[in-house]
Amino acid sequence: MKDVKNKASILSAQNVFKSYKISGQKDILAVEDLSLDINEGEFICIVGASGCGKSTLLNMFAGFISPTSGRLLLHGEPIVGIEPRCGMVFQSYALLPWKTVRGNVEFGLKMKGVSPKVRRERAEYFIDLVNLGAFADRYPSELSGGMRQRVTLARIFASDPEVLLMDEPFAALDAMTRQVLQEELLRIHEDQRKTTVFITHNIDEALVLADRIIVLSSRPGRVKAIVKNTLARPRHMTVQLSKEFTELKSEIWSFVEDEVRRHGSVTPEYP
Amino acid sequence: MATLEERPILTEATAVVPENPDGKDEPRARKVSRHKTFRSWKATPAVTLLIGLSSVATFLGVWAMVTELGWVKPVFLPSPMSVLDQGIRLVETGDLWVSVIASSTRVFTGFGLAVLFAVPLGILIGVWWPAKAIMDPFISLLRPLPSITWIPLSILWLGIGEAQKIAIVFMGSWVYILLYTYESTKRVDPILIRAARNLSANDFAVMREVVLPGALSGIISGLKVTLAISWSCVITAEMVAANNGLGALIWQAKDWGNMPLVLMGMVCISLTVLVADWIMVRIERLLLPWERNLRE
Ligand SMILES: Nc1ncnc2c1ncn2[C@@H]1O[C@H](COP(=O)(O)OP(=O)(O)OP(=O)(O)O)[C@@H](O)[C@H]1O
Ligand SMILES: [Mg+2]
Repeated sequence: MKDVKNKASILSAQNVFKSYKISGQKDILAVEDLSLDINEGEFICIVGASGCGKSTLLNMFAGFISPTSGRLLLHGEPIVGIEPRCGMVFQSYALLPWKTVRGNVEFGLKMKGVSPKVRRERAEYFIDLVNLGAFADRYPSELSGGMRQRVTLARIFASDPEVLLMDEPFAALDAMTRQVLQEELLRIHEDQRKTTVFITHNIDEALVLADRIIVLSSRPGRVKAIVKNTLARPRHMTVQLSKEFTELKSEIWSFVEDEVRRHGSVTPEYP
Repeated sequence: MATLEERPILTEATAVVPENPDGKDEPRARKVSRHKTFRSWKATPAVTLLIGLSSVATFLGVWAMVTELGWVKPVFLPSPMSVLDQGIRLVETGDLWVSVIASSTRVFTGFGLAVLFAVPLGILIGVWWPAKAIMDPFISLLRPLPSITWIPLSILWLGIGEAQKIAIVFMGSWVYILLYTYESTKRVDPILIRAARNLSANDFAVMREVVLPGALSGIISGLKVTLAISWSCVITAEMVAANNGLGALIWQAKDWGNMPLVLMGMVCISLTVLVADWIMVRIERLLLPWERNLRE
């Protein structure tokens, strides 16, 4: 039975709770009664304090973990098991150490049975896009953190899933590379309109990229506020200089600040 | 292998030496070595080799001295010269090669069969718990059993031919290979398996592309340890019942009271195992190219 209201939403969470059990310790409630509808082609940014359950939510959308209660839906159908249609960019890279940059970027295509010639071309294209052409035959252990992160981006773009789930993909990058890749992501998104859920700590980044920004409360994560990003598309980095940008930023910051203040950095469950 | 020991620990001395005006290109450290010799010695391969060689030479010298001067009777400890004599004779008569080849063939057959049997099984019990449950009791019972305890049964079943030696090697190695493989399989980072599945990999692809290569490094380390165990198995088996091979060689020499030959046999076993180890290291490099930067 599909919900009429959710017809347009490609991805949704309905009253999702998630608690982690650790034997001998109190359960940790990471996500509490979270509901969210994401429309097809939308770019969503999720911001919130560290440890508030952002990665947990994304892992549930990818089907890596299941909720304690509540439902997660892709095209109105429950997500059961790992979902290849929701491609994940991991906070911790998760590159295969025994494959070269090229091998990693080709991996998704290889698994889908794409012919060697085609996948080589596509891999080449995305490796160049993230500026790693000279490193195509290196192994991940021979790259810097930022370079590895760029490989994960090339890998996900090459494998071309329906939904992109990105867990702080730019966190390890220097400011310049970050900006270049933000522009690139912006361009690709405006080109392809691929549904994207993007986690970041950086409000500027969220405002440059997103259509809507979801502010999560500190743990347990609930939707604290949803801010519609009214900045016009196509966007450019210079949008950050506009008055509208500053106003939106202070609006979002007021929600985030609230949460950071309210909870502080001390988490009572941890001795 | 850049290890900590190779770095000069006492380089502070270099800082107090003033720049040398006429030898601009000469590194400071070398300048120091003229004054404070030992401090700035670097553990370069040449120096390490030199020290190693001198320690062996000293050992041989002392050995020669105590035997030649008659401080120790030759029946207890033959002189290094008589051992060398035996070595030369072994090479000349061709007995050495016959023994080395006989033992090596047994080791590599038994070890090879154990690898073929235990590596796939180890991966299977690592990824599929019912297989683990089936194997667990056997592993627990067989692991503490020294391979030498299989000698009576194996002779009863297989006689004293090649099959029996190979069986002893097999029984002595497969449990270890299985355990190393299992452990390495378990240690493959689960996030990599998630990532692969997220990129549409099916069960078989996960095994081939993630679990096997992820475990390979650990499996090979295990094989290197197990290969040494295989060698001790074959030597034991040959000492008990065989008419050729390195184990038989030293056992027969003992019966003839030929102590120099016993010692030479031991040296030959050592050298053969070293060569086998070296071959394993080569194979490892070939199979694990992504670890090249860890080796330099
Ligand atoms: N596998 C786990 N087992 C137990 N507790 C966990 C596990 N994963 C996360 N948690 C807990 O759940 C809470 C939310 O974690 P999560 O990783 O989702 O946070 P996050 O919002 O992504 O934080 P960050 O911004 O630092 O990445 C944390 O308090 C954490 O301690
Ligand atoms: Mg996180």
